[in-house]
Amino acid sequence: MAVATARRFVAVEPRGVPTLWVRVASPVVAIIGAGLAGAVLLLATGHDPLTAYRGIVRASFGNKFGWMSTLISATPLILTAVSAAVAFRMRVWNIGQEGQLYLGAIAASGIALALGDHVSAAVALPLLLLAGIVGGAVWAALAAFPRAYLRTDEVISTLMLNFIALYLMNYLIFGSVSFWRDKQNIGFPSGRLIPDNAQLPNIWLRLHVGIVIAIVVAAALWWWLRSSRWGFDLRVIGDSVSAARYSGMNVARRTVSVLLVSGAIAGLAGAIQVSGVTQALQPRSLAVNIGYTGIVVAAVARLNCLAILPVAVLIAGLSNAGSSLQILGIPSDIVLLLQGVVLLLVAASEFFLYNRIRVEWPWRSSSQQA
Amino acid sequence: MAVAIIVAASLNDSVAVRSAVAAIIAGTPLVLAAVGEVHAERSGVMNLGVEGMMLIGALLGIVGTIAGGSPWIGLAAATAGGAALAAIFAVLSVSLRVNQVVTGLALVIVGTGLSSYLGKVPDPALTDRGAVQSFDLIFHGGLAKLPLIGPLLFGQDPVVYISWLIVGASSYYLYRTRAGLAVRAVGEDPATADAAGIRVSLVRYVHVIIGGALAGMGGGYLSIAITGIWQDQITAGAGWIAFALVSFSGWRPWRVLLAAYVFGALSSLNFTLQALGIKIPSDLLSMLPYIMTIVVLIIVSATSSASRALQAPAALSTPYIRESR
Repeated sequence: MAVATARRFVAVEPRGVPTLWVRVASPVVAIIGAGLAGAVLLLATGHDPLTAYRGIVRASFGNKFGWMSTLISATPLILTAVSAAVAFRMRVWNIGQEGQLYLGAIAASGIALALGDHVSAAVALPLLLLAGIVGGAVWAALAAFPRAYLRTDEVISTLMLNFIALYLMNYLIFGSVSFWRDKQNIGFPSGRLIPDNAQLPNIWLRLHVGIVIAIVVAAALWWWLRSSRWGFDLRVIGDSVSAARYSGMNVARRTVSVLLVSGAIAGLAGAIQVSGVTQALQPRSLAVNIGYTGIVVAAVARLNCLAILPVAVLIAGLSNAGSSLQILGIPSDIVLLLQGVVLLLVAASEFFLYNRIRVEWPWRSSSQQA
Repeated sequence: MAVAIIVAASLNDSVAVRSAVAAIIAGTPLVLAAVGEVHAERSGVMNLGVEGMMLIGALLGIVGTIAGGSPWIGLAAATAGGAALAAIFAVLSVSLRVNQVVTGLALVIVGTGLSSYLGKVPDPALTDRGAVQSFDLIFHGGLAKLPLIGPLLFGQDPVVYISWLIVGASSYYLYRTRAGLAVRAVGEDPATADAAGIRVSLVRYVHVIIGGALAGMGGGYLSIAITGIWQDQITAGAGWIAFALVSFSGWRPWRVLLAAYVFGALSSLNFTLQALGIKIPSDLLSMLPYIMTIVVLIIVSATSSASRALQAPAALSTPYIRESR
């Protein structure tokens, strides 16, 4: 009964395209809101939120080593976020970045190990990155073709492929004595180290050149989505599949291509992680939710490939600060919770960006009602 | 007579019967969570956050059992916790029409972070405590010793029977009652359902929350009856398997029950095979449920006309906007 009467007085109406100011403000408000929610939880459990937040900022952005680790962690996040943004733009819900990243890592480390010391870095590095791209794209193809031609739901299939890839990677290192595994050390399963010439060079302290690659890829995709025919088709299909069909677009082919590109970028992230950070196929260091966190980054950046850059740095800093919170006696899990709440609030803000809520107070004259 | 008893007793001790019992126990959290997700998805809402809701349920299961002194209080707390998290999801996905994929993932992250955080708050931390008291068996002695059906039908704890009841009730409700027909109508074609006078948002709210309650209950059963303890991410992906089960089973409650036991058997198969002296790498076994789900999904979508009954609800994961009717 209450709902029925309320419906008469609360009207939801769509508003036009939100201004740039509103679009920038909404994630900022979401982040502040998540900070407040976290503060309430911290206070309720006997911790000082100011200490915690100061600890996060200090650990991740307080000195050059903090910045270095933050940027190292941001590198693959930028790529998995771009991967998600490209697909989500077309309303193709590739949530398989985890698995595509693992396959990229498996392919890249495989190529690097196969080439060995015989080739120079100028040959090894491009081949390694290419292998990652192909690995990720092939894994995405397993979901792309059924989605495009049989309408198999890609949310479920890409999600399932994540777990298959995880167990495959675990099998290569922990479950068998494979090509990827360090055979010297059978008692302690570990990936075999890739040769020096297949490792990405550092540009600042231990920050490797992968960050430059990631920024270039993000900028290129931003430009490509804006100004190419492909990007235009993507947006049209995202808005209305039937309108796209009427105008003669080959929706199935675009679906395949967007998923392959998306998978390739996630695979590249895997190659860069292997080459720049883990230097071997190390499941424990690779399976740290880079894919899922990338989706968080993409959503907070509202699928804008340039906005992904600062958001990735912010989220990477937040994730990295966990261990220093532990030292302050605060469970590090708070940073994960904060990420989740930011994502919930950003998702909620989407509604208020595009809709206005008008309350018709019952005691006012009803002449204003449309 | 004596021979028969010995045969019966050895039958109940056999690897096959023991594995079946293990499969039922391992499958029960999956049954509960997946049947819950069937309710949500039948109403047209895809809640990817099952893992998050199960984790909150698992934490509250242990907390409730310790604080209330009874596993039943733990199970009730777990159910309520799952429902509460699902209510947040319902506000976002039904009222605010937010993208369900993103919101579902957010729910997993929130559930994981919150449960791990809260598990460390009490002193001593929940992770440092011994196993809690579990559910008492209902049938003692005679019945449970019957050959074959004894351990399977009468050797279970009460929550297993409750899960069977929930599956039966869900199947009856969704396919044999007017209210269930309304739920399915909302999931297939919300605009038509709306025109027929069904309150689309209300139906979706209720069924998303039922889904969360059952996911929480599944998580609670997992922590109380299977592990007995709390650890970070104790569900270890059971929520994702439960989510996969729903599409694997064609959104049908009875199939969910069978498939959950198959998936449960796979997770306990490792020990069975070891007992039989067969060695298959455990990672490859763990892959199987996911491979099977993809294969079934592709087959069903390839033969869409023949198996329409096993297809996803047509309006699944599409928010309903009345103005666009």
